[in-house]
Amino acid sequence: MRWRHSVFAGLMSALTALAAATEDAGITVRDAWVRETPPGMAMTAGYMVLQNKTSRRQVLVAARSSGFETVTIHRTVAKEGMTGMEHSPQIQLLPNASLPFAPGGYHLMLLNPKRTLHAGDRVEITLEFRGGLVLPVAYEVRR
Amino acid sequence: MSVRYFVKKISLKFSVMMTTVVLAAMLVWLAAAYRENGSRAIFLPDQVMTLFPDPKPLTAFAFTDHENRVFDLSRLKGKWSFLFFGYTHCPDICPTTLATLARAHENIAKSTAGAKDVQFVFISVDPNRDTASKLGQYVSYFDATFLGVTGDDAQLGKLAGQLGAAYQVEVKPGAENYPVYHAAAVFLVDPRARYLAVFAPPLDAQEVGRRFEVLRQLDGPKAI
Repeated sequence: MRWRHSVFAGLMSALTALAAATEDAGITVRDAWVRETPPGMAMTAGYMVLQNKTSRRQVLVAARSSGFETVTIHRTVAKEGMTGMEHSPQIQLLPNASLPFAPGGYHLMLLNPKRTLHAGDRVEITLEFRGGLVLPVAYEVRR
Repeated sequence: MSVRYFVKKISLKFSVMMTTVVLAAMLVWLAAAYRENGSRAIFLPDQVMTLFPDPKPLTAFAFTDHENRVFDLSRLKGKWSFLFFGYTHCPDICPTTLATLARAHENIAKSTAGAKDVQFVFISVDPNRDTASKLGQYVSYFDATFLGVTGDDAQLGKLAGQLGAAYQVEVKPGAENYPVYHAAAVFLVDPRARYLAVFAPPLDAQEVGRRFEVLRQLDGPKAI
């Protein structure tokens, strides 16, 4: 019985690998959300999980949105016992791998929203990758 | 490949779960051991919270709270205080931590002992931009009971130094935005204004609440 399982598992993983290599599904984004802005605050952050479904390395080089004055790719970093933010001009996505933008790590820093954001709203932010790939993503505003 | 990855993921989840279970069990055991021995000799290594066996009494400092009242050492007495250093122009760590603390507050409020003797204080290290009214608006968005306080650099340094809470503000003249670095930990001060424990990031509301309940039980009738 056991060998059958392992043969099956081996076959499945071979098939999955084959599928990933041949089917160029591009880059996808899931769980995209923006934190609601506390009253009077002119900045917030955007989060998501980036998934590189291609067999090539991809590089996120910029993000823009008509909903904000500026959108910058940032990372929260630890420095001598402190936490701060640093600008990440480009982020590499490994082939067939995902990269989370999550609280305490990578995030899109969104400055001066054009309108007040309330939970449930949607904002569009466009992600730009090296080589010209442009990906418009709808972010849900969450509290 | 993907199958193996999946298995690895499960086992990681499982080991995290097991670690949590073991830690929780140890904590309960610690509480029991403490009650029996009346001693603080046994402490567990913990990634969520570091508890100090010999809590250090804090010394004087003077801030102003978001209602323009003096917030000094006396305001830390008679209450458990969760202290967090940050600034309002902080898009990631500060709102994340304050939202987590708001949930921890809810959990504590639901416990038998309640949250009447517990306060949450957001200490802005950026008094240049964080006025009292701005702080008030900001903290009450997360929880109506949260306090926002700040002071000048000398006063901030007095308290931050005692807690080992490093911070650095690189004010650039004329610039609207400038880098601010601050400790991401949450400091717990007991009702006798002693620095008792520190919670390490990333914070989890349930874990913070659970550990606080144990600490409060340990402190028991001696409180205040």
